[in-house]
Amino acid sequence: MAASGHIELRSVTKRFDQTLAVDDISLTIPYGSYCCLLGPSGCGKTTILRMIAGHETPTAGDIRIGGESVVGLPPVRRGTAMMFQNYALFPHLTVLDNVAFNLKVRGVGKAERHRRAREVLAQVQLDQFADRMPAQLSGGQQQRVALSRALITEPRVLLLDEPLSALDEFLRLQMRGELRRIQRELGITFVHVTHTQLEAIAVADAVVVMEEGRIEQAASAHEIYTLPATAYVARFMGGQNVLAGTVIAVNGGAVTLVDGTGARFATPVTSTAPAKGQEIFCCIRRDRIKVEKLRAPLSSVGEATNVLAGTVHAIEYQGSYVKVTIDVPGREQFVGNLPDHAFLTAPLDIGDAVVARWATEDVHLLTGDSTRTATGVRPLPLEAQRDGVRSR
Amino acid sequence: MTARSSNGRPWTFYALAAFFTLFVLFLYGPMSAIFILSFQGPTGGLTFPMNGVSLHWFKALVVQQRSGDFVGSFSRSIVLAIIVLAITVVISIMAGLAFRYRFRGATAVFYMAIASLIMPGLLLGLGVGLMFQFAHVSPAWFSSALGAQLTWTLPFGLLIMFAVFSRFNRAYEEAARDLGASPWQTLRLVVLPILLPGIIGVALFGFTLSYDEFPRTLIPIGSRNTLPLEIWAMTTDVTSPALYALGTLTTAVSFAVIAVALTSIAVIQRRRARRQRDRTPGPLGDA
Amino acid sequence: MRPQPLGTSRVTRTPYLLVAPLTVVLIVFFGIPLVLVVVVSFFDLDKFDIIPTFVLTNYAEVFGSSLTYALYAKTITYALIVWAITLVIGFTVSYFLVFHVRSVLVQMALFLLCTVPFWTSNVIRMISWIPFLGRHGLFNQSLIAVGITDHPLEFLLFSNFSVVIAYVHLFSLFMIVPIFNSMARIDRAVIEAAVDGGASRARVITEIVIPLSKTGIALGSIFVIALVMGDFFVVKIMSGGQSSSVVAAMSNEIAILQYPPAAANAVCLLIIVMLMVAAIMRLVDVRRELSG
Repeated sequence: MAASGHIELRSVTKRFDQTLAVDDISLTIPYGSYCCLLGPSGCGKTTILRMIAGHETPTAGDIRIGGESVVGLPPVRRGTAMMFQNYALFPHLTVLDNVAFNLKVRGVGKAERHRRAREVLAQVQLDQFADRMPAQLSGGQQQRVALSRALITEPRVLLLDEPLSALDEFLRLQMRGELRRIQRELGITFVHVTHTQLEAIAVADAVVVMEEGRIEQAASAHEIYTLPATAYVARFMGGQNVLAGTVIAVNGGAVTLVDGTGARFATPVTSTAPAKGQEIFCCIRRDRIKVEKLRAPLSSVGEATNVLAGTVHAIEYQGSYVKVTIDVPGREQFVGNLPDHAFLTAPLDIGDAVVARWATEDVHLLTGDSTRTATGVRPLPLEAQRDGVRSR
Repeated sequence: MTARSSNGRPWTFYALAAFFTLFVLFLYGPMSAIFILSFQGPTGGLTFPMNGVSLHWFKALVVQQRSGDFVGSFSRSIVLAIIVLAITVVISIMAGLAFRYRFRGATAVFYMAIASLIMPGLLLGLGVGLMFQFAHVSPAWFSSALGAQLTWTLPFGLLIMFAVFSRFNRAYEEAARDLGASPWQTLRLVVLPILLPGIIGVALFGFTLSYDEFPRTLIPIGSRNTLPLEIWAMTTDVTSPALYALGTLTTAVSFAVIAVALTSIAVIQRRRARRQRDRTPGPLGDA
Repeated sequence: MRPQPLGTSRVTRTPYLLVAPLTVVLIVFFGIPLVLVVVVSFFDLDKFDIIPTFVLTNYAEVFGSSLTYALYAKTITYALIVWAITLVIGFTVSYFLVFHVRSVLVQMALFLLCTVPFWTSNVIRMISWIPFLGRHGLFNQSLIAVGITDHPLEFLLFSNFSVVIAYVHLFSLFMIVPIFNSMARIDRAVIEAAVDGGASRARVITEIVIPLSKTGIALGSIFVIALVMGDFFVVKIMSGGQSSSVVAAMSNEIAILQYPPAAANAVCLLIIVMLMVAAIMRLVDVRRELSG
């Protein structure tokens, strides 16, 4: 059945005592896709995973897999299998017995289940470790055993709870590719929980960004990164700077906005343009910004659009680019990622007065609900709040 | 910091090590005196000096004479200890599983167990004896004494299971459930095997605490003695080194049981222990 | 830290069924006997027959007799002395094992070395002191051989000294295990931070180690005090019959079937021990430690 691993969450809520972990979530995960649930600790992503698995029951709402409701069904009857965060390999069983566990529980005879377990282990090149104990294996090997143990149940959905966080950086990057490859080969749905942004966009077809029990945005990796819906997503993914302000002019395909400090920005609009006086949010990619030393006097910057002036706060070398953090009075820090050759030809120092410029067509309007305060935002000093306009 | 000797140890290490050695000697010294004296020659007395070396007093134990019934009490003690072991293990495991839930009366049961531990043994024995007397049931080693001993072993078993369960990773149970195991299968195939070292510990406590138990057993024992009671009867009327021979034998039995238990635990732990850090790259090149 | 309890989202009968055997055994062999002792303490005595009634004569005898107070004074004194000595030993040995022994394997081995005697017979361990401390015992003979004294020390055996030695020998283990447990849980980083901040070793002990081992010390104290207060055979044998304790006097009464007076004594002792334990638990919250 082609649609058999298709997952649907309908108005799912989960409450633990007083805490609301998941708040009325509705989501569809197509069969055969690789979906990442991404967000900080406590956002509800693991709870959702566990509810799909059957290790938690929703307080309200329905979960359907392949069209049938699975709420109340034990994990084994859902066609799901879970890979646990620290693998949870049974320490008292050999690798072979670990992998064959599901078969043993179903009553498959010893010879048969050992044979099948060896087959699965051979697929991940671990067959010669079959008689070892889990503790004798390295982290990467343990993970492959955990994967085999889950896959031998022939699930239609594989659920991965932060599968890469127990590995060191080098292995993490390697295993990322492995997971992707295996998912493509098997063609089943993978739901992968992580708090690492770059990991999510590296492996996933669909990324679901969550915060405080709610979905901020669910879209392809590319969209999440380049066309975030809300300021939260823009900030969380890390590739953007958020601009906020009140609309002062609408000219055809673009609107001009001004923020609390008087800086002017312009952003293109596609469908319905916001009205004059409306407060909007937009964002500009960090790698589409030019940063140079400020030569002209500061006042000349004032009336220009898509320009910000400030002082260099930090410089971080990241190999192919240099991350320059700029202190701009009256707003949160502004970050530009300069290509390394550009930086080397015109290097900057901490404390330098600089100006950042970008093109209007690179700005993106944030159409979702950006009014909620995201974490880590520096509060504006009171004098920047003028005429009731609050910038975020 | 205080000055350190050439291998980096401060002087306090040596002082404490000396103290520790003295303590160990203090613990084992007198026992060794008894051990040696049990090989006293036939004409030897209760204290040093040794009057020849022989197995005379060991033989004296086996012959049923006025000193006491050792073979009988010894076998009774062993049988009773095995029964107590079995009951303690089963009940402690069940109670340990129970306390993972929050249920009404949990604190009360817990405090009752602790109180049972702290209560002076003789008094508890008195109470049990009274209970049987009022019920017009004759006390016996396999009924009243058994029950009295359980009030000593079960709290220990419970505390051990608490410690063991608190270190147990729930993820194993969830993984088993995820892979299709029923609750009973999870218990049988995953939880209990993983907890096996702890269970052996409970068994060890159950056996040895019963085998050596004296104050609680004294009153409700009934007509036939266990070994500690035979020993006690002898101490009030010590006339020969047969007592020492008995001491040596019973301690040897205890040591044997302890050795079996500890070795099994060690073997199990070794199989499951984390290997030291020498990483050999696997076929994928990962460590 | 106790993990999140199971079954908090649904009501389930499982824990009740699982805890039932334990509860039944404790009620039958601890609860009821305890109640019976209290009940019998109010019974009357006619020669060797107990008369089920309600009188306070037994308690009157207990409180009226100067022997009672003398016995309590003696037993409590023993308890305090033994407590102090075992505390020092327990603390020192645990400190050595936790902080000075580097290899975990050696630490375990040494810990077991101290613990193994616990699993052998108390009575045997106690009487093993007799040939050791006696006039012709090993200790005296060594002293004479080495030349420290030229005639045997009499006070070593069948005296208060031998009673205390026996208590310490039997019960110091009950101090070592809880204190070792508490100490082993102290996060090394805390100690290193203190040393880093300039604290001397003595400072670290008083400011960090002792407060963080509080629960272990309290637990050990409860055990030791309860055990000494409840003892009857050590004091009888090791004092050569010269001394007695509260429970020893009780055992005499029991031997001649004087159950009601014995029961009254028992109730008084239990109340006193409970008060001592409660006082300790007041000072330190032991519950957390016990429940893992």
